[in-house]
Amino acid sequence: MKNLILFFCLGLISLTSIAQNDLPNVDVTSIDGKTVTLKDSTNKDGITIISLWATWCVPCLKELDAINDLYDEWQEETGVELLAVSVDDSRTVKRVKSMVNGKDWDYTVLLDTNNDLKRALNASSIPLTILVKNNKIIYEHSGYSPGAELELYKKIKELSK
Amino acid sequence: MKKLVILATLLSNLYFINAQETGYFYGGLESNSQWLQTDKGINFPAPEDQFRANNYILMNYNLGKFTAGAQYESYLPSALLGYSPIYDNQNNVATYYFNYKDENLDITAGYFYEQFGSGLILRSWEDRQLGLNNALKGLNIRFNATKDLSLKAVFGKQRYGFEESAGTIQGIDADLSLSGALNIESVDIQLGASYVGRNQDTEGNEALPTTVGAYGGRLDFIIDNFYAGVEAIIKDPDAIANEGQLSSNKLYDGTALQVNAGYAKKGLGINATFRRLENFSFFSDRFAEGNIYNQQVINYVPGLTKQQDYLLTNLYVYNPQSRLIIESFDQRAGEVGTQFDLFYSFKKGTTLGGKYGTKLAVNFSYWGGLDAEYNIENRWYKAKFIGKGHQLFRDINFEIKKKWSKKWSSAFTYQNVIVDKGIVEGGPLGNKTILANIGVIESTRRFDDGKAARFVVQHLWSDDDRKNWAAGVIEYNFSTRLAVYAADNYNYGGENKTHYYSVGGSYSKGNTRLGINYGRQRGGLICIGGVCRFVPENTGLSANLTVAF
Repeated sequence: MKNLILFFCLGLISLTSIAQNDLPNVDVTSIDGKTVTLKDSTNKDGITIISLWATWCVPCLKELDAINDLYDEWQEETGVELLAVSVDDSRTVKRVKSMVNGKDWDYTVLLDTNNDLKRALNASSIPLTILVKNNKIIYEHSGYSPGAELELYKKIKELSK
Repeated sequence: MKKLVILATLLSNLYFINAQETGYFYGGLESNSQWLQTDKGINFPAPEDQFRANNYILMNYNLGKFTAGAQYESYLPSALLGYSPIYDNQNNVATYYFNYKDENLDITAGYFYEQFGSGLILRSWEDRQLGLNNALKGLNIRFNATKDLSLKAVFGKQRYGFEESAGTIQGIDADLSLSGALNIESVDIQLGASYVGRNQDTEGNEALPTTVGAYGGRLDFIIDNFYAGVEAIIKDPDAIANEGQLSSNKLYDGTALQVNAGYAKKGLGINATFRRLENFSFFSDRFAEGNIYNQQVINYVPGLTKQQDYLLTNLYVYNPQSRLIIESFDQRAGEVGTQFDLFYSFKKGTTLGGKYGTKLAVNFSYWGGLDAEYNIENRWYKAKFIGKGHQLFRDINFEIKKKWSKKWSSAFTYQNVIVDKGIVEGGPLGNKTILANIGVIESTRRFDDGKAARFVVQHLWSDDDRKNWAAGVIEYNFSTRLAVYAADNYNYGGENKTHYYSVGGSYSKGNTRLGINYGRQRGGLICIGGVCRFVPENTGLSANLTVAF
């Protein structure tokens, strides 16, 4: 019980002391197996969408397919960039490269094979979509339902001003 | 309690020493609970603890190059149904760590998650849905020696519930970018080598080795659109154990080989994998071999099959068979098999592509037991490299995704699957085979303002096991935040004609999500990431809350 109280106290401190979260300082790998620091991969001037997805996650694929249809337009208007971070572990990670190509996505695809980023973001479920500006997390949304990409774009326009 | 004091001191020290620099807290909460009810329809008597909850609170504090954190877990009064009983009625700080990370050095003391190569030799990870957390407790160092060479080392005991493993694990891993080191541009070549050892007290049994090591090497290369990789591991001889007992004092070595190749260009992706495992199970306690709760596993041996998306395509799934069993009612030595994937996009504006394009995915997998001779009396066996072992699993499936208009889109799935009944139910292999054909049609209709409706109809045809099934799902999104659904799996071909119905909803806002479901859970294998656990049939109300901060 004591533990519990302490944890809740810590929890309270954390809730009151943060306004904005930094992007966790975590390494991921590129699709060619090179180690990449996530903070170095984000868009320096504007907003970056980071989407946690997996080859076996249907809503994730729906979200990324839906955004892909609009991505050209979004990039032209706001300069936004999308990092699609796959949390596939070694069972399915070999399918990432072929799937990304097969689906004809235009995103930068990164791998989080042992889920270091997923843990750091406390993403219990995916998809988790976050918006990052100057390496600060400014918006988060978990789950996907049709039309959520339009809401996301509204946020991007609002925040990129 | 001691752990907590140490942690609090570390955290507060960090906080005060560096008061001029501002750090930040981050973490999250996850609460999964269920309230089980007696259901005569599926012969489910509610257990004594009808209400069960698994709670996790993870807190991290980062300040510049330092991060510290801890995870509190509670399983009160019992863990969710189907979880390892070692968690029942427990609550405590389960993991904690202290980490320093700069550009070339990353050191963690405390509990950590690490993976060498594909994880076939070592992987510690957490999966809350599976009740699996095999974090190592000790020291983890990652070091970039040069821009092309990185090294990793682990040393520690493995987490086992709220206790730790009997064995101590030590491991080193090196990753070298050969093309980088030699300035080759046309080909990208990566080499890797690993050693993982387990040191365990033999308790006076002189026949047993104190240290059992595994040695692995891997090579990956990319030439333009083509890529391939190979990983091979040999494991020192060790005694085999079954249900916590040594089968005998005889020692057997183990091997694993995985080969992967693929071709990917815009609009087309092909991938093929081959894997052979012979007596390849590796646990942090030799007596833990083959435990059904996946506790104390050192390495990661997932079933290399497609993770299916729908209710009925998840009825007959594969569970990998890496163990050697000689002195039992059936004999096995491992598995060998292959998986093949193809992804293709029909371009917009073509006949098959239509206005929005069409996406095709094809998957095939075949897994068989190793073809081996056994001499039970002499505790001897010999396995062929491939041979003609008994077929355990075979899956052919097609999936087509099509967007018709801005408002309508559909997905069609067809699967033809053959599985050994012993895989599905966890009994002896080779007695009965189940063949099933499954068809799924899913359609989504979009309305304005994030409103949408989704319909799924599914049918499973089979003359074996529980015969035919039909299933349907209806889901409605009131907005991008609020959704409700109703689903039913109906086993109309079986003896009892059972409905497995469920209704539920979810609400998510920012990084908070609440889901509530009521209904019947079909029993069987629940597989996540190729690792499976058995869940008994049950009925009840469940709630899941996740908050990230």
